[in-house]
Amino acid sequence: MEDLAPNEERTAFATAARRAMETCPRADGAAAARHLAETGLLGMLAHEEVGGLGLGLADALPVAEAAGATLLPFPLVEILLAAAELHRILPDAALALVGGEAVASIGWRGRLSAEDTASGWRVTGSLGRVPMAEQARWLIAPVCLPGQETVAGIAVVDLLQARPEAVPDEGLDLERPAATLSFGAPVAAEIHLDNGGAWGRIAAHGALLRAADMLGSAEASFTAASEHVSTRRQFGRLLVANQVLRHMLARDHLALVGARHSLAHAAMQTDAAAPDAETARLVACAVAAEACVHAAENAIQLHGGMGFTWDLPLHRRLRRIRAATALFDAVAARAALAEQVLGQA
Amino acid sequence: MTNDRHTHSPSQGIDPGGNDEAAYRQRARAWLEANLPRQWRGDQVDFTAPSFDACRDWERRLHGAGLAGITWPTEYGGHGLSLREHMIANEEIGRLAGPESVNSFAKEMAGPIMLGIGTEAQKRRFLANILTMQEIWCQGFSEPDAGSDLAGLRTRATRDDNGWRIDGQKIWTSNAHNADWCLLLARTGPAEHKHNSLTLFTVPLRQPGVTIQPIQQITGHSGFNQVFYDGARVPPDGAVGEVNAGWRAAVSVLEIERATNRMYRTNRFENEFNHLLRVCRGDAALRTLLADRHYRQRLAATFADIEVLRRHVRAAVASILRGGGIGGAGSFIKLHWSEAHQRFVELAMELLDQAPVPASPEVAAARRRFEGAYLAARAETIYAGSSQVQLNIIADRVLRLPRER
Repeated sequence: MEDLAPNEERTAFATAARRAMETCPRADGAAAARHLAETGLLGMLAHEEVGGLGLGLADALPVAEAAGATLLPFPLVEILLAAAELHRILPDAALALVGGEAVASIGWRGRLSAEDTASGWRVTGSLGRVPMAEQARWLIAPVCLPGQETVAGIAVVDLLQARPEAVPDEGLDLERPAATLSFGAPVAAEIHLDNGGAWGRIAAHGALLRAADMLGSAEASFTAASEHVSTRRQFGRLLVANQVLRHMLARDHLALVGARHSLAHAAMQTDAAAPDAETARLVACAVAAEACVHAAENAIQLHGGMGFTWDLPLHRRLRRIRAATALFDAVAARAALAEQVLGQA
Repeated sequence: MTNDRHTHSPSQGIDPGGNDEAAYRQRARAWLEANLPRQWRGDQVDFTAPSFDACRDWERRLHGAGLAGITWPTEYGGHGLSLREHMIANEEIGRLAGPESVNSFAKEMAGPIMLGIGTEAQKRRFLANILTMQEIWCQGFSEPDAGSDLAGLRTRATRDDNGWRIDGQKIWTSNAHNADWCLLLARTGPAEHKHNSLTLFTVPLRQPGVTIQPIQQITGHSGFNQVFYDGARVPPDGAVGEVNAGWRAAVSVLEIERATNRMYRTNRFENEFNHLLRVCRGDAALRTLLADRHYRQRLAATFADIEVLRRHVRAAVASILRGGGIGGAGSFIKLHWSEAHQRFVELAMELLDQAPVPASPEVAAARRRFEGAYLAARAETIYAGSSQVQLNIIADRVLRLPRER
């Protein structure tokens, strides 16, 4: 029978990962990559041929959660996924990512158009919400073929060569600033055509890992709020003596536990390639997006005016969670879930 | 009460198999499909609620088939299996939305309490008769002046030469009008000792000192009662657990029970959800609502609620099976289920109310089901520890927030 609690091995790996994240250089992406690679965590989803550990999503969830809890200023989700996908397409790039010698990012919004020319594949177009694009050497993006609307495969672009125009995105996330990248003139790219299989995997796995990152952030805010109301005195007694505050925390805890269970289940179903994996992912994303936003917002409320200051990290966590839901919020997840459960509108 | 004493030996039940969960589930499902009358299933157009006697007979057959008393030891009429089989069987029972148990208090609380703290004689006297439905039980905890706060109970048990004498009044006693026995909580010491002067008793209900008055509920039915005890008699060996200490022992049993009973709830909820969708799809006007973005969001949210409930239940079972604690699982399940179910039955009413008149038989049957469910659901956030009590439990015992006045 499925046991959603992480086993000892998973917990130990995530603990080591978290320790590395807590001591991670915060300004320099290249230095951060080298630091994090020492624990082997950047290749945890990658194939062993490129130095990876070949682990599954269920193993990666607690690691993504640790990234959220520590406000890791690094495109961890993007690198985990890129290292896993590139071992066949560009093994050298995968090797470099696993070893912390390069940084990758993913174009989560938009698509590139790919054309097969006499001098090889060329891509054009714009991509939005590319996290830490200015630090990335490799970019993965979905591509369409001329005259088609569906995703045909992925493009891998060497950003050192391509040098797209980068405009900072108006995102909330302070730790992982995003950019919009525009490829005005056609640039060379490695193209992998598989009817959208790889991109479907990246999008689905990315949604789960992002949700785990959110959960880590939300839990950290929740813990801070619990500690604050448990130690601060007002009107001659601890704040937490007020039942209304206790109930607020109890409700947020219940919602976060539900999100945690749902994410763990979805990751296990995905790893097992179960028929209901997609449904489980959509449930997890819908539940997590709602629970994490509420918990992070309530943590600010429970801190009172202090919660509204720049100094406390509560706003950073809320920003990080909101930036993640900007790609796939609870409404979008429920709409996609409705397609699964009710059929097309 | 019938005198029908035919019993089924557990060996006649479905084969539990080894650790093959899918095969066990398949056998449970096949037996239920073949044996549960169609018109007793809540999602059928010709649904008719079975009588009390019919329910009693049905539950006797469930036990004979190995689908009740699953985790109870075989020497007391149980089937000696694990929580895993208990969960699977109940999921399958919920899937068909068959009748709710008319002896649920006995199976979910009185029995487990006796298994936990009862004497050998009590176990032999009472447990098998619960599973074979020869004796029906009700709960005598709440009083007019003490609802969830049992420390304030006033009903008194006094020791005399012939055993115990019970005087007082109990309320919200579900099923007392059908019951043979009451598991009653009474004060046996000074009131100022609060929880430490309470004792549990097995009280025979069919005796002159007991008066039962039904209370009409908002559904129009009378499921629960006021019960007056005026010199009611309990034999000398009628205390369950130690005198003045029984309640504390019972609480620890009930904490586990809260997380493991009613495991049919998830699938019963899912049965209602699927029923609503089926009826909406079959009606031209309601079908258009399934394309409405507002309703799609809420239906998808219900689906997610059901899945989250399933995760909470299975996580609790997995934790117990691996020898871990129960944590706050009982409160998580109860709070999440009751509130999600209320949201759902409100949604079901909103949708079905938009059906054209005259309603088709399918729509009419669904309206009857969900109007009843809507009213009944008001109690779901009240009974077995209200939502506010569950929130207190999560805050106090799970989060361990300091309790300073």
